[in-house]
Amino acid sequence: MNYRAIFSLTSKDFFLYFQNRLFAVVTVVGLLAYLAVYFLLPAGVDQTLEIGFHAPAQLSSLEGAREEGLEFRSFDSEENLRKAVEEGDYVAGIAFPEDLASSVAAGERPTITLYFPPDVPDSTKSALKSTVQNWGYAATGKSVTVEFSEETLGRELVTGPIPARDRLRPLFAVFLIMTETMGLASLITEEIETKTLKALLVSPLNTAEIFLAKAITGVGLASIQAVFFMALVGGLSRSPMIVLVSLILGSAMLTGISFLIASVSSDTVSVMAWGILALIVMMIPAGGVLFPGASANWMRFIPSYYLMDSVHIAANFGAGWSDVWTHLIALTLSGLIIGGAGVKVLERRFR
Amino acid sequence: MNEYSIVARDLAYNYGDLMAVDHIDFEVGRGEILGFLGPNGAGKTTTVKMLTGQMKPKDGEAKVLGFSVVDNVREIQGKIGICFEETNLYEGMSARENLNLFARLFEVRNFDPDHLLDRVGLSGRGDDKVQNYSKGMKQRLMVARSILHRPEILFLDEPTDGLDPGSAESIRDVILEERERGASVFLTTHNMAEADKLSDRVAFLNQGRIVALDTPHSLKQEYGSRTLKVEIVNEEGELEEREITLDTEETPENVRRLFAEHNVSTVHSKEATLEDIFIDITGRGLTE
Repeated sequence: MNYRAIFSLTSKDFFLYFQNRLFAVVTVVGLLAYLAVYFLLPAGVDQTLEIGFHAPAQLSSLEGAREEGLEFRSFDSEENLRKAVEEGDYVAGIAFPEDLASSVAAGERPTITLYFPPDVPDSTKSALKSTVQNWGYAATGKSVTVEFSEETLGRELVTGPIPARDRLRPLFAVFLIMTETMGLASLITEEIETKTLKALLVSPLNTAEIFLAKAITGVGLASIQAVFFMALVGGLSRSPMIVLVSLILGSAMLTGISFLIASVSSDTVSVMAWGILALIVMMIPAGGVLFPGASANWMRFIPSYYLMDSVHIAANFGAGWSDVWTHLIALTLSGLIIGGAGVKVLERRFR
Repeated sequence: MNEYSIVARDLAYNYGDLMAVDHIDFEVGRGEILGFLGPNGAGKTTTVKMLTGQMKPKDGEAKVLGFSVVDNVREIQGKIGICFEETNLYEGMSARENLNLFARLFEVRNFDPDHLLDRVGLSGRGDDKVQNYSKGMKQRLMVARSILHRPEILFLDEPTDGLDPGSAESIRDVILEERERGASVFLTTHNMAEADKLSDRVAFLNQGRIVALDTPHSLKQEYGSRTLKVEIVNEEGELEEREITLDTEETPENVRRLFAEHNVSTVHSKEATLEDIFIDITGRGLTE
């Protein structure tokens, strides 16, 4: 490998990238816009917490009740309650046993099942248990002793509720990476169309070195932007190495996509068209991050899922390597497959 | 040391059923300028692509500076310079930046872009962006880029096509200077006058085959006929054109009779051009 030549080529690509006013402006404005949107979103969470419950008929009067920031909604079956909590529609679910009244009357200790999504703090759990105890006292005029059975639905990462803007961080980071991806695709397309690439191909550089220089440009542009953004919005305060590695692997995978886009594009407009199509597909897994429970299994076939989810759980829940290693492997493998395919098809266009 | 820079033996390339280069043989000596002439589609560019490692021959073999064009592409590409027909410069960069980039890629030490720009008549314009250059200036910069690493062989594809006389002359001067330095030049063109002026030998390529290969002088002697172009004043007082073929047995008598019987106004000798010879050999012109 001729590293000096690769460095020269990479420097030239950076220079030309920022010479393109569109991409230079998009790079800066994109970063500023996402920072602005992030800081404009509420820093806290709505203090009224919606609780679902399933109870025998005599407790159905709780429907719509409000108590200390808690609002209750009744479910006709425990299964539907579980599902709603799992999908993130409710911060907790309470399943009362059908024989609640007879158990209490018999002096037994009925077991009440509490369902929680993974990100419910302990304080909320305690408040909910106290509320349930109070209902028992209000209903019977005496202290009712019950057993609580807790079940966490979804990922087992215990933390406080995540403000919407923090949930959006991985999404913004992927947007930034995709912007740079389109920039790189445009740069490559221009090199093909203006035939400057031909001049490089008859220099002492081989094709692999040219691809390496392009990949360094792509990964560099994309990951620097995304890391810079994450640093400014506090996304590197928890598990920073995992966030960094995820962003770099994600940038590499999306650089492969930029090679694919460049192989089918003839100018900046077609780069934009293909790029937006790729962006839409890559954004689909964002639903699972923004709306817990909305994540469907098929989303795992979209490689950006592993990027978004690993950034999300690392930056927002402080996930460790043991939580994300499968994601990182999936991201690496998809990067290798997409990058390899990108190189193959683009190489054909080089000739 | 090998006396030839390029040796092609039975070299062939086909695009499906179309035989673009049909088993050709030729050599280019060190310090020689070979004009590779032919109309569009004759196989010139395909030949250059095979010799410069951009395409692998389908048959036959070629050696450039002793290296195989199939197995030693990288060695070859470090020692040759290519000036493409179409401008392919980084237009958003200045001339100096373009040259510096390629000097780094070719690992040229102590590179002086100003000296090179001066050689191609672009001194004082090194900091201008290439997008502001005229076609002639861009072509001169392309030539400068192709010689910045002092290549042993220079491949030039229509280097003066569509240029103003000043730019064309400046490029021709550089080509001759490179030859003086010892570089071989492989010049593909359909500008016969230029090939005649620059080339030590010319090869006529037609439908993928070399149909003639020799010095311009020998080709003219072998295939061309010299003529005498005469203008006479006829009985009505108008100018009339006559032509007498030279180098025949009847020539002296034809000339004597013309001068004895007519009022001769002007006489010019006319030599066959390479274009005439190409048409004579192939039955078609170079621009077809």
